[in-house]
Amino acid sequence: METIRVQDISANDLPWKIEYNAERCTMCGSCVASCTFKAIKVDVQRKSMTFSQENQPEPVHIQKSIPVIKQIAEINNACRGCGMCERVCPNNAIRAVRNPDNRRNLLFNRPIKRGGRTNLNAQRTLDKIIVGRISQMTDPSLDAQRHTFDIRSPLGRILSPKELPFAISDGKLVANKKIPPVRWIYPLIFSDMSIGALSTRAWEAVALAAAYLNEKCGLPVRMSSGEGGMPVPLMESEYLKYFIIQIASGHFGWNRIIKSMPKMKVDPAGILIKIGQGAKPGDGGLLQAEKVAPHVQAIRGVPKATLSSPPNHQGLYSIEESVQKMHLSLNAAFGFRIPVAIKCAASSTSVSVYNNLLRDPYKICGGFFIDGIQGGTGAANEISLDHTGHPIVSKIRDCYLAAVEQGSQGQIPLYGGGGIGLTGNAAADAFKMICLGANGVFCGKILIQLLGCVGNEQGRCNACNTGKCPTGICTQNPRLVKRLDVDRGAQRIVDYVLAFDAEFRKLMAPIGNSSLPVGRSDALVSTDKAIAEKLGIQYVC
Amino acid sequence: MLKIATTRNHERMSTQDLLLMIESAVRDGETDFDISASGQHNIGGAVWNLEGKTLKFHITNAGQRVGSMCLPNTEIIVEGSTSADVGWLNAGGIITVKGDAGDTAGHCSSGGKIYIGGRAGTRTGSLMKHDPLYEEPELWILKNVGSFSFEFMGGGRAVICGVDCENFSSVTGERPCVGMVSGVVYVRGQISDFPEDILCLELDSDDISFLKGGMNHFLNAIEKSELIAELSDWKEWKKLRPLTFEEKKPPIVHNIADFRKKDWIKGGIFHNVATDDFIVLNTVNRGLYRLRVPSWDNEKFSAPCQFMCPTGIPTQKRLNLLRQGKIDEALKLILKYTPFPSSICGTLCPNPCMEGCTRGKIDESIQIGALGLESARVEVEPPKILTGKRVGIIGGGVAGLSAAWQLVLMGHSVTVFDDAAQIGGKLAQVIPHSRISPELIKSEVNRVEKLGVTFKSNCKVDFEMFKAICEEFDAVLVATGGNKARYFNWEGAEKLIHGIEFLKSINRGEEVQIGKNIVVIGGGNSGMDVATSAYEQGAEKVIVVDVMKPAAFEKEIRRLKNFGGEIIYPFMTKKITDEGIFSDDGRFIAADMVIVSIGEAPVLNFLPEVKKFRDWLVTDDKKMILPKVFAAGDVIKPGRLTDAIGDARITAIAIDKYLRGEKISLPAKKIRVPDENLSKKYFEKCHHCDLPDPMHEHLRCVSCGTCRDCKMCLNSCPEKAISRIEHDDGSWEYISDENKCIGCGICAGVCPCGVWNLSDNPEEIHMYRTYTAS
Repeated sequence: METIRVQDISANDLPWKIEYNAERCTMCGSCVASCTFKAIKVDVQRKSMTFSQENQPEPVHIQKSIPVIKQIAEINNACRGCGMCERVCPNNAIRAVRNPDNRRNLLFNRPIKRGGRTNLNAQRTLDKIIVGRISQMTDPSLDAQRHTFDIRSPLGRILSPKELPFAISDGKLVANKKIPPVRWIYPLIFSDMSIGALSTRAWEAVALAAAYLNEKCGLPVRMSSGEGGMPVPLMESEYLKYFIIQIASGHFGWNRIIKSMPKMKVDPAGILIKIGQGAKPGDGGLLQAEKVAPHVQAIRGVPKATLSSPPNHQGLYSIEESVQKMHLSLNAAFGFRIPVAIKCAASSTSVSVYNNLLRDPYKICGGFFIDGIQGGTGAANEISLDHTGHPIVSKIRDCYLAAVEQGSQGQIPLYGGGGIGLTGNAAADAFKMICLGANGVFCGKILIQLLGCVGNEQGRCNACNTGKCPTGICTQNPRLVKRLDVDRGAQRIVDYVLAFDAEFRKLMAPIGNSSLPVGRSDALVSTDKAIAEKLGIQYVC
Repeated sequence: MLKIATTRNHERMSTQDLLLMIESAVRDGETDFDISASGQHNIGGAVWNLEGKTLKFHITNAGQRVGSMCLPNTEIIVEGSTSADVGWLNAGGIITVKGDAGDTAGHCSSGGKIYIGGRAGTRTGSLMKHDPLYEEPELWILKNVGSFSFEFMGGGRAVICGVDCENFSSVTGERPCVGMVSGVVYVRGQISDFPEDILCLELDSDDISFLKGGMNHFLNAIEKSELIAELSDWKEWKKLRPLTFEEKKPPIVHNIADFRKKDWIKGGIFHNVATDDFIVLNTVNRGLYRLRVPSWDNEKFSAPCQFMCPTGIPTQKRLNLLRQGKIDEALKLILKYTPFPSSICGTLCPNPCMEGCTRGKIDESIQIGALGLESARVEVEPPKILTGKRVGIIGGGVAGLSAAWQLVLMGHSVTVFDDAAQIGGKLAQVIPHSRISPELIKSEVNRVEKLGVTFKSNCKVDFEMFKAICEEFDAVLVATGGNKARYFNWEGAEKLIHGIEFLKSINRGEEVQIGKNIVVIGGGNSGMDVATSAYEQGAEKVIVVDVMKPAAFEKEIRRLKNFGGEIIYPFMTKKITDEGIFSDDGRFIAADMVIVSIGEAPVLNFLPEVKKFRDWLVTDDKKMILPKVFAAGDVIKPGRLTDAIGDARITAIAIDKYLRGEKISLPAKKIRVPDENLSKKYFEKCHHCDLPDPMHEHLRCVSCGTCRDCKMCLNSCPEKAISRIEHDDGSWEYISDENKCIGCGICAGVCPCGVWNLSDNPEEIHMYRTYTAS
């Protein structure tokens, strides 16, 4: 007799079920040895049968006890659907299958924390927008392969022509005041994933790809450090110029950044003040203790503990203060030589923030980064991931149009992020965002997906907070980190960005733009009336 | 010669009219045309003489696409300059423009020759092609061309002579030859840039002979023959041609690994805080990099039988010995734990061991009690090494004798004092003979004596004597049990007969006065003993009352019921009279004798002042009550016989340590093997009628927590990492080779006994640190 208590947790309560075929299994042990979540184990299964093979009932009894792979029916060992078992199985005997009838949300006896991206708000405005104004008759198209394109965005405060502090001296035009620093960069920024959130190898792979794209491919891609500090050897190298250093509410890593300043051979590409992020607006960064390995402790300057950055920068209580204090301090830190930008979670008040930044009389805000709800995170409360935030598309548009109304568009470059590349094609997303008014985009999740992350918006894996990342990307466990191939990972990113560049041209060329079509919303149409109306583009059907 | 003036009286002839006129004239055989055009398009193209004669056009002021779709045997001379698309789709005509040409000159031409006597505009020569069936097209330009020229060129030859170009940085304009796949462009003069897939080469002899051959014709056509010398310095010439399909380099392979090794920060950007060899691991590894490691935890956990037994008798080991055919050792093993395997384990004990038995979850528990009976007559060798230490034990009951047994086995000399004539305590004095034969008890008590324990029966220990014992012996154990009947201060309590005395006198063989109707207060096992004994002594009706559901074992209750006895509960006794007993709710049970049996308290009047809880002794964490004086059994806490044996065993260990001058620490109880570690699926349910005799129970025993040497692990390990090592004493162990093991846990999964366990690999990998490496 085998029986259960109805309230016992069983595999069919869990989000993923293990589908196992004992007939195919060779008991090589690879699936169990590979599973980082301890979601499966070896068990013995009994086959017991009484049968008759004579012309009359002559019971014969057999019993067989065979080893099998079995799912562990425990919340803490719940299968995440990462599929490592399926990949490693030589015989297609095992795989994880999504369980639509799971009772996960009812059975977790605590608020669920996880990484990944929102699983609820995965509907996409950008997919309802198409590049609809392509007419070789009215706008001669360019040749994407053979023509040259100027794919560069400003990072830094752009002054309007009348504000440029020029004077004529001895018949020559000279600047009689300092002009804010501006860097012309590739409009795709590798966004902030911290040391700690990512493994050393994953972070290095992204950094390596960024450097390679600059050095070997001529694409001035910039990478933002995230709030976990910067590796000292990188800060002391020539490659620092490709990196944007972030400061967030935890101010992690800044001791080593400041100590490195005298040894910096070049300036960093910029500073990004992170106020909030789209995946979990209102929350500071969160790094579970499982991931606070010694090097993270060192770089961040904290002991092993769950690191929760405060929701706000302590000491900033208003937009004005954030401009006056943070922008000023960080501009000053590098001698007003490098652009300082600010990143906020998209919100229904983003336009007010942008207006405020535009009005700043000191002209020290070098970029406004808006992060939408579809942004990723290494760890957040699931309720924040799924139920807080703001879509990015209309927000970028609103900010752009607000600037247009004042004639100050382009003065503080707008960068949009949060779900860029969600469906795999970041070039299309970036192009549409730029046509709507962004100067560029930033993306993170797609980078780790290129490294090998198997997570998605349908609840697959999303275990970035547990330290058990099966791909060695979001973990500091050496046994897992060593699974990640830095070179192959960086290679994928490089290849992807090169494809991005080619595909981006394939969108610029047909509309006949050889420079970035910032605000060229006339190039877009929407098959959704509400979206068309909201964004001020043509509705088509 | 047909002369056509296209304007008359300020009226301009349309392109359509002009072309129709030309076509009609050609059809009529006209071959020579002198056209004074006014910007009409397409003059000279797609017309032919039916007899194959050459058509000649002399044109002034031509419009766009002069000579377009021109066929062989057509010669066009344009005076002065012309606008765009000269020779568009030229299929064989010879077109001469004496001045400049507009944009896209020669566009898509694939035959004939086009001579431009000045400059040509942007996109000149674009998409020129060479149809292999015909001669290749030629495009000669005296001066220079505009930007984007020769785009997508697929064949033919273009010649740019670079005359009068001193003010131009490039005679080919900006970005020439984009997308060019074939053909050649000869250039004399500056070339600012060209794409990567275009080669800029010196001329070879074929090139020179082509240019030499064509230059005169060209210069003559445009009436600039005086330039021949200037343009014949072939060192001033270069040629542009695209890489052939075969020559084209494969697309650049981006090699990041190479970049990291050569150009990247040495040792990686984390080298100051991380040691990384950048070696990439598979998901499955051996040794250090395994996620998990197995351990062979033989006997680390206790089997449920062992765990549930207060004495901790490891029955799984007895059955393992039986399985190995070591019958003698198997039967002796239990005697290391108890001197009463048959009288208590096999007869009186409720066998909590069997309650926990894993086999009980499959079919029926192992018959552990019955197995105890098998050890009834087994003899034990006395110890070979004696310590010379002497222990006095006060009380010859189960606790006292069990402790004596253990201590003698440990090599000490033991004397047991008991006030009764017969050693054995309640076992001998109180428990009715109907439940256990006195001979069985006697044989096991005798085995204790035979091992070397000195019995002093009929020896009541009083205060003085206790003092003397304490002085005489190295250690003293108080194990006098409970002897005084307990009861409450009910009205008429003086009328009560005390159950313990009642049973004692029966066992002593005394004549016991017994009533007809008896009430027994207390439904525990001793209450049942009293009640059934009352029947045996001749009572007619016995009713047992209790305040709650009787605690007696099912078996004992059944014995009473078999006699016709009755149990009433809840029954709160209020008063006892000569007529019977009243409850507090007014019920009355008639009885001529009321016996109380709700437990006994110890009699401790021989002891000096000691710590007590109510009537019972309280020992410290060393099991001591006084210096050198220990206590065990019911004198501390009322319990079952098996509890007394277990307590005595632990106390004996404490005394032994005391006598050896070691620190006294009581043995920690082992953890019960987690049920989920056991693989019960191997064991098929057996029918009750197929139960083996107890000596063959090893066939059913799971061997929880103790290796049964079945070799499932050995044979299942996919990496053949497990080996079995046999030691000289016949014991064995299984070892997993870390250099082979992948940590899959198949060993743990298939182990029926829960001996193999899998845990996270505890070996640390020192990859990260907080300091900078020197």
